[in-house]
Amino acid sequence: MEKRHKKLRKWDIIKSFFLWLTFSHACYNYERLQASAFAHAMAPIIKKLYDTKEEIAQGLKRHLVFFNTEPNVGAIIHGIVIAMEEERANGAPITDEAINSVKTGLMGPMAGIGDTITQGTITPILLAFGIGLAVEGNLIGPILYVILIAAAIIGIAYFMWMQGYRLGRKAVEQLLESNMFNNIITAAGVLGCTVIGALTGKFVNLSTKLTLSVGEAQINVQADIFDKIMPKLLPLLLTLGVFWLVKKGKNPITIMLYIVAFGVIGSVIGVF
Amino acid sequence: MKISLMQAFMIGLIYYLGNSTWLVGVGFYTVYRPLVAGTLVGLVLGDPVQGAIVGATINLIYLGFISAGGAIPGDPCLAGTLGTALAIASGLEPEAALALAVPIGLLGTLIWFGRMTVCAIFVHWADAYAEKGDTRGVMLMNVIPSQAFLFTISFIPVFLAALYGPSAVEAAISFLGQKVLHTLIVIGGMMPALGIALNMRAILKGNTIAYYFLGFFLSVYLKLDIVAVGAFAAIAAYLHMQFAKGGIADGKTA
Repeated sequence: MEKRHKKLRKWDIIKSFFLWLTFSHACYNYERLQASAFAHAMAPIIKKLYDTKEEIAQGLKRHLVFFNTEPNVGAIIHGIVIAMEEERANGAPITDEAINSVKTGLMGPMAGIGDTITQGTITPILLAFGIGLAVEGNLIGPILYVILIAAAIIGIAYFMWMQGYRLGRKAVEQLLESNMFNNIITAAGVLGCTVIGALTGKFVNLSTKLTLSVGEAQINVQADIFDKIMPKLLPLLLTLGVFWLVKKGKNPITIMLYIVAFGVIGSVIGVF
Repeated sequence: MKISLMQAFMIGLIYYLGNSTWLVGVGFYTVYRPLVAGTLVGLVLGDPVQGAIVGATINLIYLGFISAGGAIPGDPCLAGTLGTALAIASGLEPEAALALAVPIGLLGTLIWFGRMTVCAIFVHWADAYAEKGDTRGVMLMNVIPSQAFLFTISFIPVFLAALYGPSAVEAAISFLGQKVLHTLIVIGGMMPALGIALNMRAILKGNTIAYYFLGFFLSVYLKLDIVAVGAFAAIAAYLHMQFAKGGIADGKTA
């Protein structure tokens, strides 16, 4: 039984990429998360690679199972899966289970790495620059932020997608061995830490109105004590205190309530 | 200032757009963020600069915002759009707007929860098309019903809140008085500590805490702005990577 050799054109792969990029969270849900988006991106590939109705139905169902990853760094998975589907359509003995195990095996690690890189470092660093400019009333802040983040996100996703397709299952090993992810995370972490330190100094505000009477003299606690030790000492202590609560595993919403209570009590008794 | 019907309509659209799927995958990183949403709302209300200032201030609490696996601690986009609209329409200071944006952001999680729950239904519709081998049906089921539903639950509440919210906020604040406004500003001044702390948890790796203090001191002693600090931070990152590769610093640290 001779099988026709099937090759995807570059355009098929780019089209699938844009479908995923655009619609990855269109129907995000608690039951299967990004399942329908994965099937959406694969649908044109499946249609192109398989001939019979049964094969197409099977292919669509294969990609409608639970799936969730970080959509940009995780795009490497889609690239790999497209390469596997192409081999399978050309008669390679690749089972449903093989494709499924690649997807489920990689989606967790890629979500961890991806969230750290895109949501955890790139976004807040670029936001910090945008916010720094915007609070001065400079519209370049939001405009520059939009341009840079869009270029970064689309660039990362495209690179990962194409690497996945080109190298197949070897792609992940190669990227992990090259230490690329670790280097990016470490370097961006240093940059990010420095920048959020500056944000603390610039944007966290807390000062006290307390005055002490020592004999005749009135001492303004903020101006005469705290500002003499270090400007912005209270905001620094507050931020480190909140960080300590975060590290202890306190829920952010609980911490919000602490801050609100702290602010209300402090204002009422006249400390702030 | 009164928000007109048309302006409220546009603000509702901005919120939907930030949550929707139509911005080639970057909506979540752009319009969803208060910095951008606030600027757009300001544009609609005729003052993009004030919108950028308020949006940027509100964005500080969402600096450490990470949505992982569909769990979402607050809704930056709702806080950004409505917070900015209320601030501009009622003439609030950015810090007071930030304090108001916190409960608004928490309410937004209800919209997220509704969307994540109901959209599970549409995947079953996609299953039915898959069974028939209908690729077009599967593709449409990912987008059309989910986005129609999302539009309903995101556009309508924001449209109404933008229309009626500012007068309610103004009434509440004139009733409660200056003392309350002062408290809001105190709380708004402290809240960014949470956004920063949550982000620190994500990016702090072992010994990099020293760089946090470097940035802090560059800002409070040298009064550098954020972009200038970024330039020094880039040098620090480069040097750190060189030393970490097995250079001088590798001897006794770790």
